[in-house]
Amino acid sequence: MQTTIFTFTVLLLALIGYYMGRSRAVSTVGGDIRKLHSLPRHYGYFVAIWCGVPALVLCVLWTLFEPQIVNSLVLSGVSSLDPDASSAVVSRVLSDIKFLALNGTGRGADDPSMIAAAAHYSHLKSVGTASLAVAVIAFSIIGLVIGRRRIGAELKARNQVEDIIRLVLLASSIVAILTTIGIVASLLFEAIRFFGKVPFTDFLFGLEWSPQIALRKDQVASQGSFGAVPIFAGTLLISFIAMCVAVPVGLLSAIYMSEYATPKVRAFGKPMLEILAGIPTVVYGFFAALVVAPHIRNIGDSWGIDVSSESALAAGLVMGVMIIPFVSSLSDDVIRAVPQSLRDGSYALGGTKSETVLNVILPAALPGIVGGVMLAISRAIGETMIVVMAAGLTANLTANPLQAVTTATVQMVTLLVGDQEFDSPKTLAAFALGLVLFCVTLCLNVVALRVVAKYREKYD
Amino acid sequence: MKPMTKENAIDIDNSLHINNEMTKPDVTSMKIPADQVKIKAEDVRVRYGDKEALFGINLDIPKSKVTSFIGPSGCGKSTFLRCINRMNDTIDNCSVSGQIHMDGVDILSKQVDTVLLRAKIGMVFQKPNPFPKSIYDNVAYGPRLHGLATSKSEMDEVVETSLEKVGLLKEVKDRLLEPGTGLSGGQQQRLCIARAIAVDPEILLMDEPCSALDPIATAKIEELIDELRGSYTIVIVTHSMQQAARVSQQTAFFHLGNLVEYGETEQIFTSPEDERTKGYITGRFG
Ligand SMILES: Nc1ncnc2c1ncn2[C@@H]1O[C@H](COP(=O)(O)OP(=O)(O)OP(=O)(O)O)[C@@H](O)[C@H]1O
Ligand SMILES: [Mg+2]
Repeated sequence: MQTTIFTFTVLLLALIGYYMGRSRAVSTVGGDIRKLHSLPRHYGYFVAIWCGVPALVLCVLWTLFEPQIVNSLVLSGVSSLDPDASSAVVSRVLSDIKFLALNGTGRGADDPSMIAAAAHYSHLKSVGTASLAVAVIAFSIIGLVIGRRRIGAELKARNQVEDIIRLVLLASSIVAILTTIGIVASLLFEAIRFFGKVPFTDFLFGLEWSPQIALRKDQVASQGSFGAVPIFAGTLLISFIAMCVAVPVGLLSAIYMSEYATPKVRAFGKPMLEILAGIPTVVYGFFAALVVAPHIRNIGDSWGIDVSSESALAAGLVMGVMIIPFVSSLSDDVIRAVPQSLRDGSYALGGTKSETVLNVILPAALPGIVGGVMLAISRAIGETMIVVMAAGLTANLTANPLQAVTTATVQMVTLLVGDQEFDSPKTLAAFALGLVLFCVTLCLNVVALRVVAKYREKYD
Repeated sequence: MKPMTKENAIDIDNSLHINNEMTKPDVTSMKIPADQVKIKAEDVRVRYGDKEALFGINLDIPKSKVTSFIGPSGCGKSTFLRCINRMNDTIDNCSVSGQIHMDGVDILSKQVDTVLLRAKIGMVFQKPNPFPKSIYDNVAYGPRLHGLATSKSEMDEVVETSLEKVGLLKEVKDRLLEPGTGLSGGQQQRLCIARAIAVDPEILLMDEPCSALDPIATAKIEELIDELRGSYTIVIVTHSMQQAARVSQQTAFFHLGNLVEYGETEQIFTSPEDERTKGYITGRFG
């Protein structure tokens, strides 16, 4: 809350700074702005940046580090706390203190050191907020004054503003990149811990998946087995079924929309297709589980075929439908990027529409279409919701689409849902699965994007 | 020369009729013996949506000659050219009326099969547009569509003679299987001409075939047009007066969707009758 107010104050000051900088720049040259190195507004931006950026940086640093500093200061005053206590204990004590500070009663209300700590906490909080307010406002005003002072006809305000804009953009991209690296690193790190407990080859080539961990030593299946082959087989089976639906339907509809449809039909049909992409996957999930799966089972029954109620077929079909707009809109883009002159060339030789599509347009668009399909595959492999609801949990190693199979994403969900010990192989297995999944989709995406980019080069 | 036919007589009546209406002499029609006429356009009007692009064109194009269309940009040269092989059908909002007779058949009528028509009327575009296929497949594209070759060796022969005719065979003989898009601009354009003549058309329409080429490649194409003249009726749109003068026997001058003047190339360039033609070829406007 306070931070919001501070931010607004700073922004307001920066706005004032903008107008001050501008008018000062104009007045230093007596109104003849041609004598200025840069445009007046650049001087405005210059002062606004001086006024705003340091203060905002301070605000951000404060929100990042204030809680930690306060916590450690408060905890140092709690005598009842064992210095080697585990992090769980520490965080419990801390929340007790905060609760006390806020409500005046609660757990530890009879412990004088806790009460003192709570008082200390409230005190630190209010002092901290007050000093932040002073510091932030002081920073912006000092910045404003410095910025304004530096203004002169010679100041290269434009260049400096450009430099700062570049830095801000750079900082944003660095944040994005660092986050990605952080996520991948944690995945890698946890996966390595998992492979410390379960051999890498057992995981990659094992044929049995039953990640039960014994609670007592004498329990049956106390080991748990982590052979991931059935899981990846299941993932591939479902993705394959999905692509069997999505590629033909998506591609053919893209051809229709881009080559055959009149503008009116296209204006209506394309958004309709794209609505498919807007349906939340959870809706697809219960559509698969509650509508498609029973239907398939009924059909199977009438043919005398035994169909599991959670068949790979149901999940795959619905996932395929979900991916149709993905394939069709990417294909549509590349088909429309095929230059009109190629179509004209074919028509002028007496080619019919379908001959032109088949012999000229599709071959020309093929690399782009392949790229789009690969992106769609990586989408299918990573899809979670539909398979969680419709594909089942048992890790069968089968190629029969009528049986229940499970996928990597489903297993990750089941491994992590509920109360779990955080360093058991069972939990860590999720990270290993995630790592493999990440590697596969990464490769697919890299290759696909390259294929698409190469194709773009050819016609632009 | 054949004796005057009935059809021919009606023609003259028509042109007299037009003459009566106009104050100036009609310079848009040219006396071409009826048996020499390959394409006869009558009152061809084209509109794109609400915008009229051609206001009734009457034009006779002679057989086995080169006819060039000149005129300022946007005057409807390409539009008229595209009427002849019905390429305007591929443009959604384009409507064409009037008649274009080719060997006595109205090719603008609904009954005409555009696939067969376009096999008879080849077209070469402003920018070379080879398909992203091998040189061989580019040339073989048309013959394959129309089933013109029954065996591989026959197809090889079609491809080779077509490439030979455009003088490209020597240059690409040992890379027939490499992509046609890898050739130089001039070679690509000759490949496109080879592709067009591989289906053995009667007419070749060329829409500014040299505008994307350098002078040397242009000279080659012009030479080629001259050689092809004997076997094909060629219509070429060009912005280069010199090119029109060099390659064509007849020249038609279009202006703002009208055919202003049509006659022997030499006569058009030496003594144009219409002021607008005179202005255009002397570079005063356009
Ligand atoms: N696809 C189209 N849609 C709408 N109007 C068009 C279309 N093609 C051409 N036109 C219009 O028709 C008129 C004649 O165009 P056309 O392309 O035939 O001119 P042109 O004589 O070939 O010109 P240029 O020498 O520049 O190629 C122009 O006014 C043009 O704007
Ligand atoms: Mg044109």
